[in-house]
Amino acid sequence: VDFAFAQGRAISGKVTSKEEGGALPGVSVLVKGTTNGTITNTDGNYQLNVPDNATLVFSFIGFTSQEVAVGNRTTVDVALLPDAKALSEVVVIGYGTQTKRAVTGSVASVGYDKFKDRSFSNVTQALAGELPGVNITQAQGAPGQSPIIRIRGISSITAGTNPLYVVDGLPMENFNLNNINPQDIESVEVLKDASSAAIYGSRGANGVVIITTKLGKVGKTSINASYEFGQQEVTRKIDLMDAQQFVNYYVDAHNNAWTASGPGRLASDPNSVRPTQFRIPEDFVTNPQQFGKGTDWQDVMYRTAPSHNTQLSVSGGTDKTQFLFSGAYLNQEAVLDRNYYKRLSLRTNIKQTISEKIAIGVNLAFTGIYDRTDGTQGKSDVVSLGVQSDPIFPVYNELGNLGFKDPNSTWYRFATYTDLQLWHPYSLTREIAKQNKSFNTMGTAYLEYNIIKDLKFRTSINGNLYNTRYNAYQNKDMKFGYSSALAARGDVNNSFMLNWLTENTLTYDRHFGSHGVTALVGYTAQKQRDEYSSVTAGNFPNDLVQTLNAGTVNGGTSLASEWSMLSYLARVNYNFLDRYFLTGTIRRDGSSRFGTNTKWGYFPSVSAGWLVSDENFLKNVTLINNLKLRASYGVAGNNQIPNYGPIGLLGNQNYVYGNNLANGLNVTNIANQDLKWEKTTQLNFGVDVGLLSNRLNLTAEVYSSTTNDLLLFVPVPDLTGFSTQLTNIGKMRNRGFEFGLNSRNLVGNFNWTTDFNLSVNRNKVLQLGPGNAPIVYTDFVVTVKTEVGQPLSNYYGYVFDGVYKNQAEIDASPHDPTTTPGDPIVRDVNGDGKITEADRTTIGNYQPNFTSGLTNSFSYKGVELSFMLQGSFGGEIANQLIRYNGIWNGGRNAYAEVANYWKSESEPGDGKHFKPTVAPKGLQEKFSSYWVEDGSFVRIKNVRVSYALPSNLLTRLPVKSARIFLNAENVHLFSKYLNYDPENTTYPATTYSPTATSASGIPSGTMLGVDYGSYPVPRIVTLGARFEF
Amino acid sequence: CLSVMAFGCKEDFLELAPISNSNANNFYKTREDFDLASNAAYATLYTVYAPESSVSYTEQLSDNATLYNVAGIQADRWAFKDYSLRTSNVEVYRFWQENYRALFSINIVLDKIETASVDEAYKEQVKAQMRFLRGLYYFNMVQLWGDLPLVTKPLSAEESYKVLRSPVADVYKLITEDLEYAAEKLPLASAITAPGKASKGAAQTLLGKVYLTQKNKTAAAQILQEVVNSKQYELLPSYASLWVVTNKNTKESIFEIQYKGGAGNPYSNYWTAFAPTENFVLTQFGGGMNQVTDDLYNEYEPGDPRRDASISTGYTNKVGTFIPIKFPIKWMDRTAQVVGGRELSNNNFMVLRYADVLLMLAEATGDANFLNQVRTRAGLPAFGAAGYPTDKYPTLELAIEHERRVELALEFHRWFDLKRTDRALPVLTAKGKAVTPQKLLIPIPEIVRQQNPAIAQNEGY
Repeated sequence: VDFAFAQGRAISGKVTSKEEGGALPGVSVLVKGTTNGTITNTDGNYQLNVPDNATLVFSFIGFTSQEVAVGNRTTVDVALLPDAKALSEVVVIGYGTQTKRAVTGSVASVGYDKFKDRSFSNVTQALAGELPGVNITQAQGAPGQSPIIRIRGISSITAGTNPLYVVDGLPMENFNLNNINPQDIESVEVLKDASSAAIYGSRGANGVVIITTKLGKVGKTSINASYEFGQQEVTRKIDLMDAQQFVNYYVDAHNNAWTASGPGRLASDPNSVRPTQFRIPEDFVTNPQQFGKGTDWQDVMYRTAPSHNTQLSVSGGTDKTQFLFSGAYLNQEAVLDRNYYKRLSLRTNIKQTISEKIAIGVNLAFTGIYDRTDGTQGKSDVVSLGVQSDPIFPVYNELGNLGFKDPNSTWYRFATYTDLQLWHPYSLTREIAKQNKSFNTMGTAYLEYNIIKDLKFRTSINGNLYNTRYNAYQNKDMKFGYSSALAARGDVNNSFMLNWLTENTLTYDRHFGSHGVTALVGYTAQKQRDEYSSVTAGNFPNDLVQTLNAGTVNGGTSLASEWSMLSYLARVNYNFLDRYFLTGTIRRDGSSRFGTNTKWGYFPSVSAGWLVSDENFLKNVTLINNLKLRASYGVAGNNQIPNYGPIGLLGNQNYVYGNNLANGLNVTNIANQDLKWEKTTQLNFGVDVGLLSNRLNLTAEVYSSTTNDLLLFVPVPDLTGFSTQLTNIGKMRNRGFEFGLNSRNLVGNFNWTTDFNLSVNRNKVLQLGPGNAPIVYTDFVVTVKTEVGQPLSNYYGYVFDGVYKNQAEIDASPHDPTTTPGDPIVRDVNGDGKITEADRTTIGNYQPNFTSGLTNSFSYKGVELSFMLQGSFGGEIANQLIRYNGIWNGGRNAYAEVANYWKSESEPGDGKHFKPTVAPKGLQEKFSSYWVEDGSFVRIKNVRVSYALPSNLLTRLPVKSARIFLNAENVHLFSKYLNYDPENTTYPATTYSPTATSASGIPSGTMLGVDYGSYPVPRIVTLGARFEF
Repeated sequence: CLSVMAFGCKEDFLELAPISNSNANNFYKTREDFDLASNAAYATLYTVYAPESSVSYTEQLSDNATLYNVAGIQADRWAFKDYSLRTSNVEVYRFWQENYRALFSINIVLDKIETASVDEAYKEQVKAQMRFLRGLYYFNMVQLWGDLPLVTKPLSAEESYKVLRSPVADVYKLITEDLEYAAEKLPLASAITAPGKASKGAAQTLLGKVYLTQKNKTAAAQILQEVVNSKQYELLPSYASLWVVTNKNTKESIFEIQYKGGAGNPYSNYWTAFAPTENFVLTQFGGGMNQVTDDLYNEYEPGDPRRDASISTGYTNKVGTFIPIKFPIKWMDRTAQVVGGRELSNNNFMVLRYADVLLMLAEATGDANFLNQVRTRAGLPAFGAAGYPTDKYPTLELAIEHERRVELALEFHRWFDLKRTDRALPVLTAKGKAVTPQKLLIPIPEIVRQQNPAIAQNEGY
């Protein structure tokens, strides 16, 4: 016993939180330099005997430690400052947690505070631009649409590219985060490097997003309520031709083709001497003025849409019981006609400590979503139709019907000209009634058992039940607004998904003197079953009854599919002096998806960290508070391949003899019993620096990852009967650099912080199938080519260098033999003096050179203001709508700038837009640089203002705190892109439908960056109030 | 597995078989399996002879058909009529894929049945049918592409790299062997119980055409005469009755692709595909494929009933305006069930018919009597008789060329006929087509050569 201790005197005090003012229970109070100490009780009070001249150290997770000299006082009250950046902050990693100090991999962690006021249905949308190395893009602006997330580049050509989502311990592929109410989320962690993700084995290669939901804290019950009202609006419309410009365009396209179709043909020739396809409506010649400016179809399709979001949560707990109950209802109209999104989410999380040894808990959440979403399919979907539709036509004809194809309407006179286009967008939004309903139930039950001191057993069972139902009814004839007058039709689709997981882990956590060890072993089993069914009916007597009983069922199917997985995992964290850290993990995964020869795989990783700032030689350097070096190396897999990929399947191929249907069966894919996961190995180096009393924090990381056994639909010679075989053969590399900075520029009454991040990723294909044959995909003219030595999916086509002004220019350069003045100048890329297919070349790539985000926040007393800029630089976008709106295509409307096309040698136009013709002979319609645009942009992503009512105003109310806030998303976009948004892409990340038995066609992820008329991302302004009782 | 959470699941937890598909591992064993597999092989006729198939596009290459505003990638479709095909043409690659896919479906049956324990007679019949189909497909392909990679069994990817283009002569050798085997083993048409299965007559007719294409008129004459002598076939009294939807597998028909209209059935879509686009009165969907040229329309002699049985001069839209787009009506089905905006038509498609046999016999023998049987059915004056337009068709060769064009119009014969008789260049050039000797073969798709650069390209591409 220390002699001085015996002479000590008693002091007491209370520890509170400086920010919230409340008592802090459980704070460690230690006499500096001794092991003498205590912790505060539930009221934040403590008592302690201290020697003279003692210094007390107050420390608590999540708060900055404080040292206080006791002096002569007997009462020492302390208010601790929360410290989000403190090294003691706890970070969720797979199958456990770690202090930030001990993290050796690359983990980005975001707490609730970062997204609490953001008005999104999906939490990841709020993180776009916030995290270096995590590229989150909103490909479609429809409410409820999940963003595309790519962590450290794209690591696969054919396998799925979505990250793994882990919600309260349940790993899910292609999980829709809209099923989780963002207000229920405590934190989001992103495991970026392969060493962190390796604990998820064959599913970690695309990165892992871990979602942890909230649990009440010990203390008083807290009731939170909030309401938000929002307005959404399309602020950046596409500039299209008006009716007068369109008429001229139509007339010129027909005359150009007619005069080119043979000698002696003149633009002034009447319709009577022209074949049908060259005829021009009389109205266009005699009285084009009647159309005025015409209809702006975007105004017809979009509206200012309101949204309401109401939330209530109750949370709290005692030493033994902690709980959270929450409910929320979101009712959001969409900017697109007749579209909406409604979500009810309910959650209850409870944890009960039964004895010193045993604790149990249950998390149960239900989400129900009703929505109608059109317009995200591009091409001939509603949004695209609104852009293609001819401005000469009215919204309604004189009979109240939608189309000029109404035979009783005077507008029917235009139906003779089959190349006029109006698939009236209302025919899809108003003449088809449809609704998606989806119900998601997620549950976790767990038991924790402290077997002996430091050794804990945890067992859990997770389940996810997801049902969807889709109903649609299409009115007969659709008021003549569609391409043809279709019969009435009803559709009902159902899907069912049940996923369950059992997990058992043992954790051993102990300090031996200067050595700390945490060891984990675990075993998990997971299985999923998907079912799908659909029924179609026709022959409805009228449109009055729209359920299928009113018609005759004329089609339907049902499908089922399963996968299963067994895993063994282990991890050891070791530290010496809490300064040197070493982590090793290994996981062994077996999956039903892999071939019989390759059922099981191992996924190891190692990582190390060195907290240099704790070394003696840096202890006295006051500038540096924190300096940590990290290095990691790991292997993770990508198992996102079709459920029965290795198996040769038979498909129906029926024939008929006479009048008798005869079943047929045929092989649909080449079996490959060696099929397995893709394997990504990644090396990561990171440095974390805290300077100037942690006012300035920097993180920089470099990584190099290589994906081996790249799953490819290896193009096999069609002589095999197949075009592709799913094979693990290719190799791809991603290398990158990430930089994050957080600076508290001003502290005190007036606070100003700046967050900045920068990400650079370089993607390169190293090896493809046999002979490294390039992989070329073409979808509606747009061609992407993947070849060795290049990044994935280069756009591949001709280079257009403007427009030939006259014959002399044509004669002076290599040209396609069909070329006449006004046609595009096609570059002779290979310089052979001829324009051939060999002149196609790389004309762009979707992937940006770098992306960046910048957030500035200011606070003064209760007022907070922040704004965020997001930028992407150096990528290109392929505008597939050029096929409709950039070149003549069957009389669709065009971009306003196209009106500057070449008209004659004296009216050469803007030198970019060639003359329109209904019968192009050369390369006018081919994929070329004319279709590719700069995808760089800067966006004012978010502006927020909030005001917390001063507490003295609230004292007489039963309200603990109250805040009002104004939040604006997608405030402004700086971009030259012709369509709505350079983040738009019609092709989502590659995923495999759970009921797909084999994969075929184009992996959609290879066409990322191709925009075929995507749903605009609206500006959303919300005003909300939040109360705590 | 849930019940043994802590102790582990068995390994068979990971052995999941497909639920909604059959599995190839336990197939190709029994007679029932081979029935299913050969039915699937017959079903390849649906793609190989589809209205937008390679053989259908030969009408675009000829002077019979054209395209106006069509759905899809227009430039690649127009390239056929304009003879501006490029190696990147997506349709040409599709044809290549479809044909070799079809050959796989045939070859796998031939390969697997060899070692299967099914009775020999059955085995022989299945083989004969499969070899008939294989001969038919290779015959189309060799005329389209020239030298061809010859695939006669299922190939692994590795093996397929070693298969390069064989000379035309070798391709014809295989075709001849296949068809001779089929002609020997297949039963007469009257003994065929499942209408649509290949018969002896079908194999002989096709073999006759192959001989004719190889300029072996003697052999052609001999085998085609056997078809006549078999007394299995005759011309229907009325040309128009050939095209009545419900008239299937008639006495004139020698090999006919079988369709069945209605939802859930293998329906035919010639009618919708050949109807003008967005017509709104004829069909829900109009593909605009193979719109008829004035040149073909004018080829018919005055009073030839076959013209109006084959071609419509246009249609009257909903308000009575006449739209003068000529289109094929041989496969019209105005009573078809409509589901999802498509007519699910019931028409069959005749690949070989007796009129073709007679006209080939005329070509092989130089005997105008065969030609005149066809003309008599059409109610037209015989070649050599008064009233025959001798000024236009002074020789028997030209008379046969003319007769084949109108008798077999739009049935995917014209371009092959012109090539067989070495008339393609003069005839098509005179009609303004930018055709050269090299362009009478379509290109090897560039993707094929990217996959295996050892595959040579046709000259001129």
